[in-house]
Amino acid sequence: MFPAKFDYVRADSAADVGRLLAEHDDAKLLAGGHSLIPILKLRLAAPATLIDIGRIPELKGVSVEGGALRIGALTTHAELASSDDIRRQAPALAEAAAQIGDPAVRNRGTIGGNVAHADPASDLPAVLTALGATFHMTGPDGSRAVPAESFFEGMMMTALQDNELLTAVEVPCQAEGQASAYSKLPHPASRYAVIGAAVRLTVAEGRCTEARVVLGGLTPIPTRALAVEQALTGKPLDDRTLQAASAATADGLGDDLLGDIYASAEYRKAVAHVYVRRALAAAAGRLA
Amino acid sequence: MTHKPDSYEHNMVLAQKQFRVLGTRPIRHDGVDKVTGRALYGADIDLSGLIHGAILRSPHAHARIVSIDTSAAEAMEGVLAVVTAADLGDSGDKMIDLGEGEQNLSFLRGNVLASGKALYKGHAVAGVAAASLHVAQEAVKRIRVEWEPLPAVTTTQQAMADGAPVLHDGLRTKELGKETDQTGNVAAHFRYDKGSPDEGFAQADVIVERSFDTATVHQGYIEPQNATALWNNDGRLQIWTSTQGSFVVRDTTAAILDIPVSQVKVTPMEIGGGFGGKIPVYLEPVAALLSKKTGRPVKLVMSRQDVFEATGPTPGSHIRVKMGATNDGRIVAAEAWMAYEAGAYPESFVVPGAMCVFACYDIDNIRVDGFDVVVNKPSTAAYRAPGATNAAFAAESVVDEIAEKLGVDPLDLRLKNAAKEGTRRADGVKFPRIGLVEVLEAMKAHPHYQTPLEGPHRGRGVAVGFWFNVGLESSCSISVNSDGTISLVEGSTDIGGTRTSIAMQAAEVLGISAEEVRPSVADTDSVGYTSVTGGSRVTFATGWAAHNAAQDVVAQMKERAAILWGVDAGAVEFADGTFRSGDNSLAFKELAKKLSETGGPVTGRATVHPKGVGGSFAGNIVDVEVDPETAKTKILRFTAFQDAGKAIHPSYVEGQMQGGSVQGIGWGLNEEYFMTDQGVMANSTLLDYRMPTALDLPMIDTCIIEVANPGHPFGVRGVGEASIVPPPGALANAIHNATGVRMSRLPMSPPRLMEAIWALESNPIAAD
Repeated sequence: MFPAKFDYVRADSAADVGRLLAEHDDAKLLAGGHSLIPILKLRLAAPATLIDIGRIPELKGVSVEGGALRIGALTTHAELASSDDIRRQAPALAEAAAQIGDPAVRNRGTIGGNVAHADPASDLPAVLTALGATFHMTGPDGSRAVPAESFFEGMMMTALQDNELLTAVEVPCQAEGQASAYSKLPHPASRYAVIGAAVRLTVAEGRCTEARVVLGGLTPIPTRALAVEQALTGKPLDDRTLQAASAATADGLGDDLLGDIYASAEYRKAVAHVYVRRALAAAAGRLA
Repeated sequence: MTHKPDSYEHNMVLAQKQFRVLGTRPIRHDGVDKVTGRALYGADIDLSGLIHGAILRSPHAHARIVSIDTSAAEAMEGVLAVVTAADLGDSGDKMIDLGEGEQNLSFLRGNVLASGKALYKGHAVAGVAAASLHVAQEAVKRIRVEWEPLPAVTTTQQAMADGAPVLHDGLRTKELGKETDQTGNVAAHFRYDKGSPDEGFAQADVIVERSFDTATVHQGYIEPQNATALWNNDGRLQIWTSTQGSFVVRDTTAAILDIPVSQVKVTPMEIGGGFGGKIPVYLEPVAALLSKKTGRPVKLVMSRQDVFEATGPTPGSHIRVKMGATNDGRIVAAEAWMAYEAGAYPESFVVPGAMCVFACYDIDNIRVDGFDVVVNKPSTAAYRAPGATNAAFAAESVVDEIAEKLGVDPLDLRLKNAAKEGTRRADGVKFPRIGLVEVLEAMKAHPHYQTPLEGPHRGRGVAVGFWFNVGLESSCSISVNSDGTISLVEGSTDIGGTRTSIAMQAAEVLGISAEEVRPSVADTDSVGYTSVTGGSRVTFATGWAAHNAAQDVVAQMKERAAILWGVDAGAVEFADGTFRSGDNSLAFKELAKKLSETGGPVTGRATVHPKGVGGSFAGNIVDVEVDPETAKTKILRFTAFQDAGKAIHPSYVEGQMQGGSVQGIGWGLNEEYFMTDQGVMANSTLLDYRMPTALDLPMIDTCIIEVANPGHPFGVRGVGEASIVPPPGALANAIHNATGVRMSRLPMSPPRLMEAIWALESNPIAAD
C-alpha cells in the first residue's frame, strides 16, 4: 500500500530539528526509515509531516571519549558491526548489529532510529541495556541523558518526548576482566529476535563479580534476568555454573510474554534459557 | 554440488540408445532476456490509454451480501467504471473442462465475483477502473457493502460436523457416484475398492493405524496474478496475462462472459512461477468487464496479500491410514479415509490424492474413502502433483512404522512391495512399464544410503511418491529458414525451460543443434489448441508434437531433394541430418537454402492428443539433526531420486527435482495458513508465511533414473511434479529416527515438534 499523504522537510542540523519540530504538529523524524516507512505503508501511522534528519553530520560517527564510546544516532547497523572501536570496546553490540535483518537493512537502519522505535523484537535495546548504555537527547528545554534501563518504558514507548531528538548513545568501554556477547533466535523470515540474550560478565580473581543478563524479543521491553545474574555472581564461570544459572532464565520473566504465530509465548519461555546459556558461554569464552 | 555434465550417466535403463541433442545441456533460449530483465511479465504490459483497476474483497470469511452501493465510488473524480456480480449474470449449472478436470461454471463465476454471499476472506466482490491506481484503490473503499456475517468453517472436521454452517444451500452430496438429496458441505464421497480389506487385515501380523493432518499451503510463485484486457469496439476481447494455459484462459473467460471463444485472444506473457496455481482465472473476466464499460484497456494486478487470500492454495486435509503386513514383510491390506478441504467451491484434489495414496505398493486388498469438503477458505487450486503430497505423508509414515515394527530396512520393505508393470492400483488402473523398483534400487545403492549417519540427535528417513502425469492436447508448427535454422511455434507457456526441451526434440529429429531452433510461445490466434502447462505434460506432449512436426518437415524436404536429384521421394533417405539418395547427399542446412527453387517455403505442423502417459516415481533420502533444546530441525543432507524416463535436458530435470524438493521441505517443516477463529488468514505476507530460503537448506543432490516410457517416441515421462510428493514423509521419518517422535501433523515446526517431544518424555507409552 502507499503511505497516506505527508509533507516532507529536511533538517540540516540538530538545532534545525528543534525548530522544525516546534513548527510542525504531528511530525515524525525520519532517519534510516526502516521502521517508519513500513509503518507508513501499512498505514499504522499517518503523520502530517516527515522531518528528514538523515543528513545531519553531527549525528554521525563513532568516537571514544573519556572511557566511553560515543555513537552518533545516525550510525548505521553496518557501521556498528564493522567499527573497530565497537568491536574492541563493546563486542556484543557489534555482534548484534551484524545479525540485524539483511545487508540492505543494516546499510540503512540506524541505532537512533532503532532504539527510538523500541520494537520489542529488536536486537539493540537488550544489548544496550546489558552494556549499561546512556541515551542523549535534546529538546526545547536543553539536553538530558537517560540510562537504558529507564529509557524503554513499554512496547514501542520510550522516555523520548515528541519534541526531542535522540542525538547519541553512550556505551562504557569494556573494562579489564569484562566480556560481552549476544545470542538470538531469529525469526526465520524477518530475522527479528524471537528471543535475544545479551550478557556482560565481569571477572576478578577467577570469579564473576558482576553479571548483566538481559532478554529481548519475548518481553515488551528489555528485561534483566536477575535470577541468572545472582546465580553467576561470586562464582567461577565454569560450564556447571553457566548451565545452572541459565536454567533460572524463566524465573522472574513473569507472564507478560510475547507470542505470535511463529513462536508462542510458552515456546519462547521454554527455550529462552538455551540462548542465555549460549551467550554466557560465548562471553565466558572471551574471558578465558 | 550439482552433477557436472560428464557425471551424468546416460540412459541407465534406456539401454545404449545414443542421441545427439537429447541428454545435453544447451543454454536456454529465453535465458538472456530473463537474466537481463528484458523479459516481459504480466504486469509489464503497457498499452495506449491503459487504465488501472482494483478489487473490493470481502473482509469476512462467510457473510451474506445484503446490498452493495457503488454510487459514492462512481461519483469519485477519475473513476471510470465499477462492476459487480450483477454484470456477470447467472449461468446456472454447466460443467466445463479447465484442463485438469471439470468445473461447474456457476462456481467459477461465483469465485470471480461473489454473488449473494462471500465465502472466504478476500473473496472478490466488486471491481473498479480508474485513471490511476491510487484513485481506483481509494474508490474501492467507498463502495458500501451491507454485510450479514455468518459463522465460518475452516477445517474438514468443522465443516462435516452436525449442524455446521452450510456454504452452498444448493449443494447436494454426490455419494459413491450418485446424486443424493443430502445437504451440507460434503460435495462428494467416493470409494475405491480392491480385494477384501477385512480378509487382508485378518492375515496381517502387524497392523498400524494413524491419523494425520496437513495444513493449507500456497504454491508461493514470485509473480502475483495479473490481467490486462481490452474489449475492442469490434467486440473482440484481447487479454494479456501470465498463465499456465492461454487456451484455458480463453475458454474459461469466454464461458464466464458467455461469448464465443473465437471472440477472445489471449497473449501469454512470461510467467513468474505457477506450480498449478496459475491455471484458474481470477482477474481476467473482471478486467474484461471493466474494459467493456470504459472502452479502455484495463490492468489488474494482485498484491501478495491478495495472492494468499484469494487465489487457490493447496487443500489442508485430514487423513486416516491403516496398513497391515505379514511377518515376512508383505503388505496385505490397506485402508485410507481422506477428507480434503476444497475451499469455497468443490474440487479439492482428493480424487488424485486417493488414487496416489497407495500407488507405490502392490497390495491385494485396499479400500479408500474420499471426501471433498467445502470450507470458508479460498477455492483450492492445483499445486504440483495436487493431492498426492498430503496422501504420501500419511502412507509413507505408516509404511515406515511397519518397517520399524518388523525390524526390516525401510527400503527393503518398499522394494518387496513395490508397484511394477501390471500392478493394478486401487482405482482400477493397471500400471504400464514404470520405474519405482529402479528408483528404490538407486536409493539403496547410493553413497548417501551407504554412508552411516553418526552423531547425537540425528536421524535418517526415506520416502517415495507417485504422480500420474498427463497427456492432453498440443500443437506445434515449424518454419524452415533459408539459413538452415528453424522457427518453432508452440502453445505451451514456458514455466520450466520447456522452450528448450521442446526445441531439443525437434533438433534431434532434424539433425541440427538446439541453438539452431528458435522456439516461441504464441498467442491463441497464432497456434493450434494447446492444453494447460501442467501435469508434467509439456516436454512429453508438446515435445511429441515438435517431434512430429519435425518429421513432417523431413517428409516435405525429402520431396524437395527428390526434385533436385530427379528421383522418387521414396528413394530419399534422411539420417544424421543428411538427405541421401544413391550418390547424392545434402545436409539439412544445404537443402534449406534450396527451398525457393524447389517450390517455396517448407512449414511442418503437428497436433497430438497422446495416450501412453508414463507416470513418474520419486524418492528421497534425508538426514536431519533436531536440536533437542529448541526442536529446530536442520537438514544435513538431502538426495532426491526420480524416474524421468528420457531426461531431455538433465539440468532442467535436476532443477525440477530440486524445486519440488524445496517446496516439499517447506510444506513439511514450516509452511502453513494460520487461520483465526473468524476464518481470517493471520499470516498473509511473505514475512509471516514461511517459505524456505537458501539459508535453510543444504544442497539438494539429485539422481536421475531413466526408465524409458515406451509410450513416447523418445521415452519421456515428464518430471515437473513427482518430486514434491515424498519430502514431508521422508522428513517425518527422519525426525522419528532422530527423536523417537512420530509427527502426525504438518508442518513439523519447532513449537509443534517441541510439544511432541515433551509429550513423549512425560508419557513414552501414550505418545508412541
